[in-house]
Amino acid sequence: MPRLGEVFRKIAFWKRSEGHEAVDAEALRTAFKARYHSFKLLLNANNKALEIMSEMETALRGSRPFSMSFVRANSTAVGVNVFRIIKHLDELAPERYQNLFDRFRDIQDQINGVLSKRTIPRGDRLVLPFAEIDKDKADLVGSKMANIGEVKNRLKLKVPGGFVVTSAGYQRFFEANELQNEIDRRLQASEADELDQYYALSADIQQLIIRSRVPEDLEREILDAYRALEEEAGEKEVRVSVRSSALGEDAADTSFAGQYRSELNVSPDYLIDAYKDIVASKYSLQAVAYRHSRGILDEDISMCVGCMVMVNAVAGGVIYSRNPLNIRDDSVIINAVWGLPKSVVDGSVAPDTFIISRREPLSVVHKDIKVKDYKFVCYQDEGVCRLDLTGEGRELPSIRDEEAIELARIALQLEDYYGTPQDVEWAIDGEGEIYVLQCRPLKQTEVAEKAYGRSHDAAGRESLLLEGGETASAGVACAPAFVLRKNSDALQFPKGAVLVTAQALPRWAALLNRAAAVVTEQGSVAGHLANVAREFGVPALFGVAGATAALETDQEVTVDADGLRIYRGRIESLLGQEAPKKNLMEGSPVHEVLREVIQHIVPLYLLDPDSTEFRPRNCRTMHDITRFCHEKSVQEMFSFGKDHHFSERASKQLYCDVPMQWWFINLDDGFKEDVPGKFVLLDNIVSIPVLALWEGINAVPWEGPPPMDARGFMAVLLEASANPALDPSMPSHYTNRNYFMISKNFCSLSSRFGFHFSTVETLVGDRAHENYISFQFKGGAADYQRRLRRAQFVASLLEEYGFRVEVKDDGVFARMEGFDEEFMKARLRMLGYLLMHTRQLDMIMANDAAYHHHRSKMMQDIDAIINPNLATVEHAAAH
Amino acid sequence: MEAFSVLLVDDEEEFLETLVKRLTKRKLDVTGVTSALDAIRVLKEKPVDIVVLDVKMPGMDGMEALRQIKSTSPDVEVIMLTGHANMEAAMQGMELGAFDYLMKPMDIDELLYKLQDAYKKKTLRELAR
Repeated sequence: MPRLGEVFRKIAFWKRSEGHEAVDAEALRTAFKARYHSFKLLLNANNKALEIMSEMETALRGSRPFSMSFVRANSTAVGVNVFRIIKHLDELAPERYQNLFDRFRDIQDQINGVLSKRTIPRGDRLVLPFAEIDKDKADLVGSKMANIGEVKNRLKLKVPGGFVVTSAGYQRFFEANELQNEIDRRLQASEADELDQYYALSADIQQLIIRSRVPEDLEREILDAYRALEEEAGEKEVRVSVRSSALGEDAADTSFAGQYRSELNVSPDYLIDAYKDIVASKYSLQAVAYRHSRGILDEDISMCVGCMVMVNAVAGGVIYSRNPLNIRDDSVIINAVWGLPKSVVDGSVAPDTFIISRREPLSVVHKDIKVKDYKFVCYQDEGVCRLDLTGEGRELPSIRDEEAIELARIALQLEDYYGTPQDVEWAIDGEGEIYVLQCRPLKQTEVAEKAYGRSHDAAGRESLLLEGGETASAGVACAPAFVLRKNSDALQFPKGAVLVTAQALPRWAALLNRAAAVVTEQGSVAGHLANVAREFGVPALFGVAGATAALETDQEVTVDADGLRIYRGRIESLLGQEAPKKNLMEGSPVHEVLREVIQHIVPLYLLDPDSTEFRPRNCRTMHDITRFCHEKSVQEMFSFGKDHHFSERASKQLYCDVPMQWWFINLDDGFKEDVPGKFVLLDNIVSIPVLALWEGINAVPWEGPPPMDARGFMAVLLEASANPALDPSMPSHYTNRNYFMISKNFCSLSSRFGFHFSTVETLVGDRAHENYISFQFKGGAADYQRRLRRAQFVASLLEEYGFRVEVKDDGVFARMEGFDEEFMKARLRMLGYLLMHTRQLDMIMANDAAYHHHRSKMMQDIDAIINPNLATVEHAAAH
Repeated sequence: MEAFSVLLVDDEEEFLETLVKRLTKRKLDVTGVTSALDAIRVLKEKPVDIVVLDVKMPGMDGMEALRQIKSTSPDVEVIMLTGHANMEAAMQGMELGAFDYLMKPMDIDELLYKLQDAYKKKTLRELAR
């Protein structure tokens, strides 16, 4: 079977051997059709590649979260599309641009080089006892457990006994089951944009891990370490807590507080299963969503797991060595509850709060003793249970003042040792011994001024809906409320809504990158949800009584987390005070990878197709390759009819009363019927995009100097013919570029009016996702400054109507894609209008008043052109 | 566009069934098989216009199947399908003569357009002979 390329070579051969003798027209027609098909596929791949590049650039600006799989999938997608482009060009011009394949491979290798960099854990011990751990072992045990080692071995504070299954242990487990590849595949294959897809993905991967076997050597080491704990404790069957200590967790700016599972009071029978559960929680919904939104690489997180002898706590909680919500407040803050500290950490019980001044002698300056409805305690055998508190104990302080001061002292000692504020989890056992269970750096938020009682205007007062609660994360936001009553409601949670819920449960953290604000009825500002809200800069107001009853889903509300108030509707005066959102991705490892990868993909170095440097070997990026191929493919298409003396596919001059300076090449079905001669009549043209452009070109008579009559367009065309570059009989470089290449749905127009050079390339049909318009505009007779200003002017108009626009020097590059036929036609009418009416603009660009006058006049015209029906209505109304 | 025939090859039965159903609804003549060997056997009995081939399958993998299909039925256009975003596989496939490559899960319309484009290429090539 002959390949397409061979068909073309055959044609070329006939041509050479038989001189200019006509070749079978039918064969040429077919060959041309095949070429046009390749050309279309090339353009399609070109558009996809450009679209993906633009998406990657947007991501780099950090305006939305992305993950390593985003970077990988998009780099791959660009590669595949660029490869397609080269292949299709090779079909159009067999073997003419072979070295493009080599350039492509070189660039691809550079990209793969960036993508394949990854961290490898140091050391090879699968399990390490606490006694051997300090901060230098962080790469092996994770920073949480490295801290515990420091606290125990350097600071000599009381820490329960324990050991860590290291990152080497984790690798061993993953490798024995070949898990990483399978997980990568699933992450890659998912289009997890929607929450329900995240749920399914997360559940699948966790199941996969839980079903895997822990290899024998690892299991043996874990059980040996456990025996050693029994010996140390002097009792059989000690219970342990099993917690995550992920590598990369708790890194300077990223608090993973509570992202992963921990299990309390685990018996030896269940130890290995508990280990797998904790490892699997690396893929919990919150953790996957969190990594995704913070740009943390999946493979960079190794799950180390710490096992610690269980403290049977009488009371427990969290100490902040400083106020997390106010950088200027250096008081030590203690949250305490009866029983295990669990209910403080997960925000389910409002805890007692002690505020302690750090001035010596330490003293309790404020106490807020809450009614504690229940407590968590250890079951005899395994697990923990919730006990309702009924007696008077529930109203009593869970710790004594002396204990509070002792706890504060520990926090200060830790702060002093680490040199930064600390967040410390603690427990007190039956003998009154205080144990440190974990500690990590505390992130404080800057609050400009406590806005208690911030004055609100009259409109504010009457729209006040709720008042009270505590600031869990500072800020103000306005959005529709969404009241979340049950777990499954989370699936419907819309992007950008205010999350309203009864309890501040850690699991809602997965919704925070979609939430505008958070309002809860219960929960502590020390809990996980508050931590994550602060990290994302999402305003959060906790402890607002009756919020779920008072607020309705879809009701627009303004949440003032600083002022502890919620208003009906939009309160502009408050929103002005909103702090700017931070770029979440900046500085994250995945952001860094994207930045490096993009260097090989997006920059365009091949700018000038007329330069002798415009060659495959000068392609430095994927974008260069696409640019090169696009240019060459258009030339290849254009020259076919001429090269093969094939009249049907050679250019035809437009004839409207007189011959016009416009040439059309019919690529496929752009003419109603084929024309044998030199000319084509306007009513023989059936190309959808050409007709839309045409309508725009003729929509408004051109008024600029020199004055023109109603047949302005014709005049322009005739005027254009005065430019020798437009005369096809002249061997000018531009001659080959002043043309329409058309089919029913496609049009590529290069036009040159005087000194203005513009191109429009567009596909408009019923495959909406393939539709696109690309518009370039350049040149002009005026001085450089005025040309620059004109470029800005045109760019601003195009942006106004939804184009993605880039201005380089005096050139404007605009694109749009993916809209339906009617929308695209309206935009093409607009471009037709611009083609006609931007010529005059250089002349007025020096004058501000004229600039603004023309801008508003042109906007009016464009509105009328884009939406003719509306314009008619307005017109009628005006009379 | 007129109806043409498609052979889907994928070891994930559930995925295969859904795809056969959805493409049949779009008036294509669709057959589904779960292994490369079945695909080759079916092709011998009943030639089709386009094969959609999963790259990763137990037994004979998609790449080997592509080689064999292209050598015994060179006229068939092949579209490769996989969950891996694997550049090498994509390029290797296209170098071996695959028409194109799609990543799973794909949009059904995207697949349909890809099928139409492949079919058009096949018809044009046959006309050119």
